[in-house]
Amino acid sequence: MKKLSLVIASILLAASFAFAHGNEQHVIGTVSKVTESSITVTTTDGKSVEITLTPRTTFTKQDKTITAKGIKEGDRVVIHAKKNGEKLEATSVQLGIAKSVDQKSTH
Amino acid sequence: MTGKRLTIGLLVALSLVVIVVLLWLKLGADGFSARAKPSPIEQFAAATARKLAMPEHAKRLRNPVPYSNEVLEQARAHWADHCAYCHATDGSGNTEVGRNLYPKPPDMRASPTQSLSDGELYFAINRGIRLTGMPAWGKPGDDDEDSWKLVHLIRHLPKMTEQEAKSMKQLNPESCMEREEERREQEFLNGHSDKTVPIQHNY
Repeated sequence: MKKLSLVIASILLAASFAFAHGNEQHVIGTVSKVTESSITVTTTDGKSVEITLTPRTTFTKQDKTITAKGIKEGDRVVIHAKKNGEKLEATSVQLGIAKSVDQKSTH
Repeated sequence: MTGKRLTIGLLVALSLVVIVVLLWLKLGADGFSARAKPSPIEQFAAATARKLAMPEHAKRLRNPVPYSNEVLEQARAHWADHCAYCHATDGSGNTEVGRNLYPKPPDMRASPTQSLSDGELYFAINRGIRLTGMPAWGKPGDDDEDSWKLVHLIRHLPKMTEQEAKSMKQLNPESCMEREEERREQEFLNGHSDKTVPIQHNY
């Protein structure tokens, strides 16, 4: 029991450090809108998050570099982004190989 | 008379220095932050001091470890595990720690680093750099093999491929939580529903 409490305390401590010190956020979800300058993602918990694209943003699909043009609505994405004022700026966009589960079920 | 003038001159010079220091402190009243970029004067002073502190024989040292793919492979693993946290996998210094150190680690791919001799690079690794975040690595002396292998890797950084960087990233130190998060992200990208992706605890 003591060991378990210690493990839980360590995890909580690690989590608080990750949020307090790493100013990078990971956005996981499905692309609901994509423009030249931003991607809007519906996250796995149903929230809509807009992430700005910058010239430094990198795009990959299965470890291969792609361009922003390769991203379509309904694509699964994992976006690592940094806060810049009120905006979230994407540092990397990883595109999934599969469409979202919700989209599959509508066909 | 000459001695009196000299004393007055020294006092005036000292007063000026004190005034300049006080003004500098006043202007920096917000406190010193490691987020700041060192001024050109600081950069010049630091670079000059480092150059002067470099032993003459260090500049002439040649890498005693012959270059080979195996050596490069070992150095890549070493760099990924020990250096990338501050210097980044690609040597750019663009990491959470690298961006916020004072002074920032240099872009190792750029000319100021690449133009250093093998011996100078070795000494920076093996002796560290005082008053920076760079510690001394390996065993003291001129023959620390692992440090010399890293010199080969530093020379290779400007031409590192995406594939190499990708394989090195897998060797970066990660916490259990980071590994877990990465696993969940990859499973989501591969088609699993995030809600059905099982969470494994390997603590």
